[in-house]
Amino acid sequence: MIVCVAVVGHQNNPLYIQSFTDADDALKLHHIVHCSLDVVDERVNNPKKSGPTLNDTFLGLLYPTENYKVYGYLTNTKVKFILVTTDLDVRDADVRNFFRRFHAAYVDAVSNPFHVPDKKITSRTFADRVSTIVKSFGLSSAT
Amino acid sequence: MIGAGKIKQYANILEKPLGKGKQEVSLSAFAFLFSELVQYNQTQVDNISELETRLEDAGYAVGARVLELLCHREKGNRRETRLLGILSFVHSTVWKVLFGKVADSLEKGTEHEDEYMISEKELLVNKFISIPKDMGTFHCGAFVAGIVRGVLDNAGFPAVVTAHFVPVEGQQRPRTTILIKFAEEVLQREARLG
Repeated sequence: MIVCVAVVGHQNNPLYIQSFTDADDALKLHHIVHCSLDVVDERVNNPKKSGPTLNDTFLGLLYPTENYKVYGYLTNTKVKFILVTTDLDVRDADVRNFFRRFHAAYVDAVSNPFHVPDKKITSRTFADRVSTIVKSFGLSSAT
Repeated sequence: MIGAGKIKQYANILEKPLGKGKQEVSLSAFAFLFSELVQYNQTQVDNISELETRLEDAGYAVGARVLELLCHREKGNRRETRLLGILSFVHSTVWKVLFGKVADSLEKGTEHEDEYMISEKELLVNKFISIPKDMGTFHCGAFVAGIVRGVLDNAGFPAVVTAHFVPVEGQQRPRTTILIKFAEEVLQREARLG
C-alpha cells in the first residue's frame, strides 16, 4: 500500500507531494520524505562503488523506518522521486516499473509550456495519472 | 490461412484508431513559426542584444524540457556526470532529435580550457533567414544557443553559450559556431573526478 509519493526539485524544494491514506498524519509523511532527502544526497555524493552503479537513476531502498519503506529515484536533472510504502514484501522490479511510469508522467507534466520550471506541478492530468499508477501498483503486487 | 492478412476496413473514418503519428514536423511550418517568433520579439525590444537575450531565453525553456524528455526516452538509466559525456550527448542525441542529424563537429577551444565549440555548416533555424546589413552581429542561432544552455544548465553544467558566424574561405556563406564556455565550478569538479 503506497501511502505517499513526492517529487523534489534539484534544490531540494518540493514540487509535488501526494498522500494516499487519510488515516496517517500528513505531517509525519512530509517529515519522512524530508529526511529521506539526506539519504539521497549521501548516496549521490559518496557512491559505494564506481562503475555501473555510479550513474544509475534508481536508488533503491533508501531506509526502512517503523512500518514504512522509502524508495528513491533520481533523474538526470537532479529531480528526485520519493516513494513511501507500507508493503513488507515489495519486489524490486515492481518499484522500478512504478518509477518508470511515474517518470513518464513527470516528463509529460514538465513538457507543458505553461509549467514554470522549479515551481509546483499544478496539472490535474498529472495528479490523475499518478493516482492511476499508484492504484495499479497496489494491484500488481497483490497477485 | 487465406485472408489472415486482410486489413480491417472501417466503415466510418472517425472509427479509425489514431496512430502514434510521425515524430517529425514539417520544416516550413517550423520556419514560419520561428520567423513569427523573431518578428514578435523585434517589436518588443529596443536593441539587438535584448532581442538575442529573448531568443536565448525562449531556447532555454525548450532545452530544459528536451533534457527531461530525452533522458527518459533514450538514456535508459544513466546520468551524465562527465564533461565529455554531456557534450557528446548534446552533439549527437539532442541534435538528432531536434534537427534530424548529428552536429557537424565538436571541438575543444585552444585559447581557454573551458571553451568548446559545436559547428554546423548551416543551422536549420537559419535556413530561410538572412540578416540585414544594419543588424551587424545578430544571429538567430541565439535560439539554438539557448537550447544548449538549457540542456547543460539543467544537467548540472552551468555555462555561457553563444552563437557566432565564422567566415570560411572558399564558401560565401559563413559557418555557424556555437561557443560553450563552462563555469569555474564545472572545471573544478571535472578535475576532482580525475
